[in-house]
Amino acid sequence: MVTSTLGYLLTLPRFNYSAPSTVEEACSLLSKHKSEAKILAGGTDLLVSMKKRKISPRYLIGIKAIPGLDYIQFDQDGLKIGALATLRSIASSPVVKDKFGLLAAACRKIGTPQVRNMATLAGNVCQAGPSQDGIPPLLVLEARLKLVSTRGQRIIPIDQFFKGPFQSALEDNELLTEIQIPTPPVRSGGCYRWATKITAIDETLVGVAVLIKSDPAGKLCEDVRIGLCSVAPSPIRARQAEELLRGRRVKDELVKQAAQVAAGETSPRSRADYRRCMTLLLVERALHEAWRNIKNFPSGRQLL
Amino acid sequence: MKQLIKLTVNGESYEMAIEPRMTLLDVLRDILGLTGTKSGCSIGNCGSCTVLLDGKPVLSCLLLAVEAQGKDILTIEGLAQNGQLHPLQQAFIDHGAIQCGFCTPGMLLSAKALLDENPSPSEDEVKEAISGNLCRCTGYTNIVKAILEVAQGQKEAE
Repeated sequence: MVTSTLGYLLTLPRFNYSAPSTVEEACSLLSKHKSEAKILAGGTDLLVSMKKRKISPRYLIGIKAIPGLDYIQFDQDGLKIGALATLRSIASSPVVKDKFGLLAAACRKIGTPQVRNMATLAGNVCQAGPSQDGIPPLLVLEARLKLVSTRGQRIIPIDQFFKGPFQSALEDNELLTEIQIPTPPVRSGGCYRWATKITAIDETLVGVAVLIKSDPAGKLCEDVRIGLCSVAPSPIRARQAEELLRGRRVKDELVKQAAQVAAGETSPRSRADYRRCMTLLLVERALHEAWRNIKNFPSGRQLL
Repeated sequence: MKQLIKLTVNGESYEMAIEPRMTLLDVLRDILGLTGTKSGCSIGNCGSCTVLLDGKPVLSCLLLAVEAQGKDILTIEGLAQNGQLHPLQQAFIDHGAIQCGFCTPGMLLSAKALLDENPSPSEDEVKEAISGNLCRCTGYTNIVKAILEVAQGQKEAE
């Protein structure tokens, strides 16, 4: 095989392509070809892996032609994002920016404008890489994933989805069709912070999402969730740090301690010292920022 | 197995039989001979293969040609109208915003998409819009100036 000096080939390997027009049809193709098939949505990760010959699936099932899968819906149950909603449409959606600001920020951080016009949040989730920016916000928002197969559907919490680097609970015959996100509780604020490699695509070295809820008096942390990516084989919640904060008065000293605990909960696969240091720094800043972001507080005052 | 596809590029309709593994970039350059769209890294980092798909900048190196059917594809060859350069093209020349020229087609299309959507962008919005187009000559300053001048000109013309 000809290898280029770039370390990858410019052309894609051969595959059989089909473009089903319904979810049912896509699922029956999946159950027929199983691990020999890959779902193609945005393609910005999959086609790169194929050009690098990391994978060479025999069948590609293009789902872009399935109508009605690119929705972003908001109602009293929360937010529903269809499998084909692009990162750009999510990042620029008024309701996402207003009520799920940390998710909009993370989607806007990924890739480049061109990538965001193509890539989907569902694809970001299915890729299940350690450094996918879309994941930490979904972890702290306690999103659920709707997985559909020819046998029916199941809805699983996102923290049960990741099984290891690029490994997930998605079965060979399943399609992720929808991401469901409950509306954040009242008196809560969130944010997403990150540090990146300095490259063309700025892959994330540490990503931190925080969602924090205040008590009615605006003093105690009633609840908090901290989601991290790129600091462990899979995206994680820093549950010990959350536990430390819960029910306690939000002060600088406590926030520092919590950040230290969170850094201790990481298990980076490379550049461990740097990633731990940055986790410490970013969790501290993210906690402060999320606390400041608490909106619609009855008295309308600044909390910190 | 080859598939028969139909593409609309710069307003013209083309039919061809291609292998599904051909990207839109492969088809534009190697079948249609539209070599204005450049092949740089081919893995979505550099933005030199940028084309507009229904008005939005996308990477033609990571888009299967079969999936570009039914869309309006605009390449750099379709930017000038009736032999008249697009105002952005003229501004790039006037500002010396072209050095080696390799990033220019993608840069111009990203700029066009921005101005079509947001006729009076801030400098930061311009920088954001071209953040997916790498200029290895590092001539960003003049590129940003050229785009801002066109935006300003459009505003004054109104």
